[in-house]
Amino acid sequence: MEEGRLRVAVSPGQFMLARVDDVARWAQSSSVWPLTMGLACCAIEMMTVTSAEYDIARLGSEVFRSSPRQADLMIVSGRVAQKMAPVVKRLYDQMADPKWVISMGACASSGGIFDNYAVVQGVDTIVPVDVYVPGCPPTPDGLLYAVNLIQQQIREGGRGGILARS
Amino acid sequence: MPSTQKPPIAGAAIDPPSLRPPIDDAVIERIAPVELRARLEALKANGFAMLLDIGAVDYLEREPRFDVVYHLLKLAPRPASVSEVGTPERMRLLCGINDGEHLRSAMDLWRSADWAEREIFDLFGIVFDGHADLRRIQMPEDWEGYPLRKDYPMRGPAAERSPRPAFANKSNVVAGTPPSGRTLEALQEQVKRARS
Repeated sequence: MEEGRLRVAVSPGQFMLARVDDVARWAQSSSVWPLTMGLACCAIEMMTVTSAEYDIARLGSEVFRSSPRQADLMIVSGRVAQKMAPVVKRLYDQMADPKWVISMGACASSGGIFDNYAVVQGVDTIVPVDVYVPGCPPTPDGLLYAVNLIQQQIREGGRGGILARS
Repeated sequence: MPSTQKPPIAGAAIDPPSLRPPIDDAVIERIAPVELRARLEALKANGFAMLLDIGAVDYLEREPRFDVVYHLLKLAPRPASVSEVGTPERMRLLCGINDGEHLRSAMDLWRSADWAEREIFDLFGIVFDGHADLRRIQMPEDWEGYPLRKDYPMRGPAAERSPRPAFANKSNVVAGTPPSGRTLEALQEQVKRARS
């Protein structure tokens, strides 16, 4: 696919032809459902991004699912405490492939201003991260841009095809 | 903010009342651990129906090492009319204990002492006898050490293994110059002036 558009061949009849991979990636990127992993202050901005002004639903993230089985994208928003770390890891493991992770904010990316005993210094020590969003907190626009980057990653494809993380 | 300066210990742990901000809302009383229980029971009988919080302070080099602070509230009785609304009374009890000494739990007097004492046990290691379920509340159950003690490394037990990168240090640390502003020397100066 080029430039995010699904490449199809339209025959004179009623058929459209495209590759299965392209169609699948188009579907996956157009319906990225996040898992609610709002841990701290960044969760407020994540909630704002669902409001009418920013509206993540127009990008396809119509619902934030609480069940990891039903979500594709885990937006880790907020500082990850030592006590919460195994929970984050367990929920990530329970998500079905393909899955992606956005590390939102400074605390999720690197521990932020909390360089201490209680905060995990970056959620990428626990789960693999696809997009890091800087900010404390990042503006909702920043999070929208991160979701756009995730969609771009999905559309451009990756190693294992449509059934694996790109 | 993560501090690049070590906390002032070894002789610098001071709490001079002259440097405390003026607080007129509470009666502050210092009490010995042996009299604490009787005083709490007396205060409860006197109408202090609410234990707002129990806090603790670690003065590392002071004898006794810890201060356990009980914050009590006595609400004004129900007024007969709007013009007679009273003001609540507040009480603050400071009890100095040493490392290894136990205090009696206030849980049977006020149920709010339950989690407050668990928090103090979790972060300072002060044991409360008679508590129904004294275990960690904020740190993971298998955590070792008491993080809010002054001799606990602020970045955690693994701090030496992952030193802070140079770009994350404040400029005076990188340059090797003394810090400015609120320093140990400035505080000691302040104390000296207040005492003289």
